[in-house]
Amino acid sequence: MNIIEIENLCHRFADGTFGIEGINLNIREGSFVVIAGPNGSGKTTLLRHLNGLLAPTAGMVRLAGIPVEQNLLRARQLVGMMFQDADSQIVGETVYEDVAFGPHNLRLDHRKVKRRVLNALDVVGLRDFINQRPHLLSGGEKRRLAIAGILAMEPKVIVFDEPFSNLDYLGVKQVLQHITALHQSGQTILVTTHDLEKIIAHADRMILMHNGKIIRDGIPTSIMAGIEAFGVRTPCSFRLGLEVKSWLS
Amino acid sequence: MAELTSFSYQAGDSLLHRIDVRFKILFVILISLICLNLYFAGLAILTSLLLGLILHARLSLISGLKELRYFLILLCFIFVARVLSTDGTSLIDLRFSSVSIQGFHNGILVCCRLTIIVILGFAFISTTRPATIKAAVQWFLKPVPFIPEKKVALMMGLILRFVPVIFHQAGEIAEAQKARGVENRKNPVYRLTKLAFPLLRRTFERADNLVAAMEARAYTENRTDPELVFHKRDWISLIAVCFLSICMLLL
Repeated sequence: MNIIEIENLCHRFADGTFGIEGINLNIREGSFVVIAGPNGSGKTTLLRHLNGLLAPTAGMVRLAGIPVEQNLLRARQLVGMMFQDADSQIVGETVYEDVAFGPHNLRLDHRKVKRRVLNALDVVGLRDFINQRPHLLSGGEKRRLAIAGILAMEPKVIVFDEPFSNLDYLGVKQVLQHITALHQSGQTILVTTHDLEKIIAHADRMILMHNGKIIRDGIPTSIMAGIEAFGVRTPCSFRLGLEVKSWLS
Repeated sequence: MAELTSFSYQAGDSLLHRIDVRFKILFVILISLICLNLYFAGLAILTSLLLGLILHARLSLISGLKELRYFLILLCFIFVARVLSTDGTSLIDLRFSSVSIQGFHNGILVCCRLTIIVILGFAFISTTRPATIKAAVQWFLKPVPFIPEKKVALMMGLILRFVPVIFHQAGEIAEAQKARGVENRKNPVYRLTKLAFPLLRRTFERADNLVAAMEARAYTENRTDPELVFHKRDWISLIAVCFLSICMLLL
């Protein structure tokens, strides 16, 4: 079953330039999709249409069969989004408050909110930081907190916008571990990146974007050849003709 | 990022930690007002009570006082202003004014009062979760017409959350400019504008991202209300504070 259906999606910015143009895409439930492309290729613009943060100039996005604009609250509950800058995403004064922000917006009662928050913090391993102030967390911990904030909304799809930017090796491994664990638990995962090296071993589908359009779409191994012409670096293992290895192995 | 201030919540389970935040706000207002009318005997009793409570709550008063170093400079100015502006029996004659015994007495009294109010604020901030302060503000503003209490509470929360981030950003910009020799420019206005513009631009960009992030998490004004419950100990402490206040005023 397709959880996301995108039909002829276009977005034109106020200055007249196209952010994305003629996007047609179906994402199957439970899949792990990497959206690659250089800066300015339209990856983030595309993602922001999935939960109605941006309204399309033309075309439509359907989530589990229902157009996004028909029910924005449902769209935002179904599609959890992790932004590039985790610091801007964290709104609570403490870790608990931040994770509870989403459930409070859904008007859940305090017992349910607490259960969701504790579950989410357990998943990302931040239970011990529950009273900590978020600005004191490390970069990797902030990303994990952002993931917990999304998980507390119990979404079906989780979208990660450049999840590894500004992270050290350990931070990348921790975030990658959580992304793969979420995929294994049945979540649909969409990851945008311009650095395929860290994530490609786990993806079952890759979409290449350039100048706001999808130019390649398929299994990573089958569409990897020549992607450097579109501003995306080919992972080492592909260059050397070796087996693709996970950063977690 | 390092800890920015010790004027912040310190977890604990003391009486100060457990009193309902609405009562605590009421006590801070009440005691501050009374403090402004107390003399040395009353101030001494209030200080000992306050220090006792701070010790009981295991708060780090020394690190809190370290944060007050800039406040001490302000106190010095206030003291000097009081000393020079109060008439009375002359102690030292200066060319433009004179230092009087009454001025000296008055200056010390005002400084003591202000210091106690600040220590009171320290005790309040250190024993109260920011989320409950936000909830209390929402509760107090609920009956006030034309004020969107939930919006005000959210704005308060966001300020508490983002002030350290903005400070950190300002620090980063200042360091980047030092690395490019801004210290060679002696004009403070030039240096301030070079710091302020990038900081403002970055803060507005961050605000844009924040709005998107909040919308992505289904932000609505109609959210789950915060949970605040009155307990017996809150009413007992209210009676105790009122009784002590009257006693101190009568001293």
